Amino acid sequence: MMISKENARRRAEIYRFLSRCYKVEIDGKTLSAMKNMSFPAAEGKLGEGYAMLRSYLDSCGENAIEELAVDYARVFLAAGSADGAAAIPCESVYASPAKIYMQESWEEVCAEYARFGMAKADGYDDLMEDHLALELEFMAYLAEKGEYAAQKSFLEKHLSNWVGSFAADIDKYARCSFYKAIGRITEGFIALDAQLLAAVEKGDLEVSRSFSVRNERMSNILAKLRENYHVYAPMRFTKRGPKGKDLIRYGEIKELTDIVYKEKSNFSPKECIYPVSQTLFRFDAQDCTVQEKDDDKGIIIICRACDINAFRRLDNIFLNNGEADLFYGRMREKVKFILLECRESFENCFCASMGTNKATGYSAAMRIDDICALMEICDEELLPYFLDEVPIEFAPEFVKENPRKANIPAIERDKLGEICKMEFWNKYDDECIACGGCSTVCPGCSCFDTVDVIYDETSMEGERRRVWSSCMLRDFTQTAGGGMARKTQGANMRFKTLHKIYDYCRRFGGEHMCVGCGRCIDRCPKGIDFLDTINSFAEALEK
Amino acid sequence: MKNIMLPTPHKILRVLKETNAEYTFRVEYDGETDHGQFFQLSIPKIGEAPISVSGKGEGYVEFTIRKIGRLTNGIFGLEEGDNLFMRGPYGKAFPVEDFKGKNLVVICGGTGMAPVKTTLNYFLENRAEIENVYLIAGFKDINSVLFTEDLEKYAESFNTVKTLDNSSAPGFETGMVTAHIGKIPFADFDDYNVVIVGPPAMMHFAALECLKWGAAEEKIWVSFERKMSCAVGKCGHCKINETYVCLEGPVFNYTKAKELFD
Repeated sequence: MMISKENARRRAEIYRFLSRCYKVEIDGKTLSAMKNMSFPAAEGKLGEGYAMLRSYLDSCGENAIEELAVDYARVFLAAGSADGAAAIPCESVYASPAKIYMQESWEEVCAEYARFGMAKADGYDDLMEDHLALELEFMAYLAEKGEYAAQKSFLEKHLSNWVGSFAADIDKYARCSFYKAIGRITEGFIALDAQLLAAVEKGDLEVSRSFSVRNERMSNILAKLRENYHVYAPMRFTKRGPKGKDLIRYGEIKELTDIVYKEKSNFSPKECIYPVSQTLFRFDAQDCTVQEKDDDKGIIIICRACDINAFRRLDNIFLNNGEADLFYGRMREKVKFILLECRESFENCFCASMGTNKATGYSAAMRIDDICALMEICDEELLPYFLDEVPIEFAPEFVKENPRKANIPAIERDKLGEICKMEFWNKYDDECIACGGCSTVCPGCSCFDTVDVIYDETSMEGERRRVWSSCMLRDFTQTAGGGMARKTQGANMRFKTLHKIYDYCRRFGGEHMCVGCGRCIDRCPKGIDFLDTINSFAEALEK
Repeated sequence: MKNIMLPTPHKILRVLKETNAEYTFRVEYDGETDHGQFFQLSIPKIGEAPISVSGKGEGYVEFTIRKIGRLTNGIFGLEEGDNLFMRGPYGKAFPVEDFKGKNLVVICGGTGMAPVKTTLNYFLENRAEIENVYLIAGFKDINSVLFTEDLEKYAESFNTVKTLDNSSAPGFETGMVTAHIGKIPFADFDDYNVVIVGPPAMMHFAALECLKWGAAEEKIWVSFERKMSCAVGKCGHCKINETYVCLEGPVFNYTKAKELFD
């Protein structure tokens, strides 16, 4: 069973209603509103209370307002009582042994209000902070905020401890059944709510985490998200691709409709936190100074399972291979992923072969169509943005199988020398034109060069940048003296292939660097098909 | 997290011309460095490259740089008092502690002598800590000979062979370093280490020659020179198979080096 926002709203309403009853005397408007209320069937004290209240409301006469005001003063303000015996609606009075105001529990309640940035408003000078009306009002506030843990602890530490004795006192001092009923309802409702909150904590009841969001409502949510996050998703850049075609790459979206979800993006989302060109520091003739980060906003990346998995590869290179990289690290720690559901494979995808068709650890998942988005929210921090939406059942599906499959060869380390000498690689000497496009679009390729840029010819002021590079570029291994570790495109192709389906896994363990997105295949101007390379290499190896 | 790509300025204390194309720069430096480690040297607006430490002393390190690329040409324009920007030291060093009390064979070609010089200097100054040292230093021709003064000092304490690839000159043998490896009495050694540093082909053939004359693979140490844009395991340029030369090298035992395939 799920708890919806609607459910939280109703509970808040009841808390507010009870708070109202204790705050001041009942006036005519409130009484007539109550007469129109219907009360649900309930068990125990709550059911009893509802029934008593119903019967009072149905039978009370014209002088009810006056009668209730007298009873209010008698029961809650100890009016007319010689020894002050009354049901004083203040926690301190019930919780302290000497039955006096402003004791420990009052301090605790004030602190708890302050934790949520709350304090008693002006005009309530005659109510202490631990007055029942204010404690109930606070519960209403927490219920609406969806603060389930805080509600449970506030009930346990405060309301549940004293409301029972307090209701018993009402019973003792009240003359009309109205306040006796309200006392029973208060006690019964708090007991019931405590059970509900315990169940939520145990996970028996869950706050609804899946929602259906219409496009136009999503725009509002995105606007709110954008106050705190940079929100990246695949977008269309008209005529910015090769040969005048559109380019689909990651950018900051404003509308749900900005997201291009029916096509594979040409570029991967790596550029959201590892841009093509990035300033490492500024320099002049005397010193170098670090580039400060842009802002403190979080980063949301809406991307597919393969790409989420690719970030783990980048994490290994930038954070776990030697000392951690500042520029990648400080962006990466701000990232939340929203999984863009992929139910069917695109052309050239082979994610299932690489085990990257499924992803875990995302903050939310999203299925989009032309009218609305279905959202599953896994991250508490994102939940408040969606609580007004329609709860539904939704969990993302994943691609199970691709039309194309990779046959990843099992390589023995001591055969590597022979593998490097294989005739197989030579064909790439002519086929590959060393454009490096495959690395540009790859979500896992992380190699870079550094470049110094000066601001004007005559000065020493400038900055050092790192710029994406590729092991497929001819001079990738060229040292200043002209020495080159790998001299042919065949050797470069062998290096790249082994890195993607052998070396990386050998170094970092568990998984290969290639995630099977197939973007390199889509991109290659010479039609080199990396999946073919893998499969025909595996075949050549068997021979 | 700190910016591991950020260099700091260090004052040039002395510039020594070794040959027409090779200068040694003495640079102010207070930190530690180990034998065979390197720094990323840079001149802002020109760029950055890995350069081995060729000498060290109280408050300074030295780099011997060959004038070949854009960066090194830029460095050659610097004078005493100018700043050189650097970060490091990086990389695994020669296991000099393990060398102590054993024979040491050092075979180097050209600027390949730079990364082994601090090791040779250490044992020159602490002669009692090592058995015999056999040094074979090869150069292309008489004009390319480096570290002339150092070589003279080494010759006084170590069995030293200086050789020129194709030409002859007084005090020099003729032929590649490989031609002289047969003179090393591997069979007579109780224990020993071999250090080979130079161009890739030279290291490859020198190691094979040592093996031929009875050296054991695990006794041989080499040092790789690779293009690096970061020296901290990120840029990918120096990677060979699953190995990052900047992190696991540049010094490798031959048992590991022979398994690295470019």
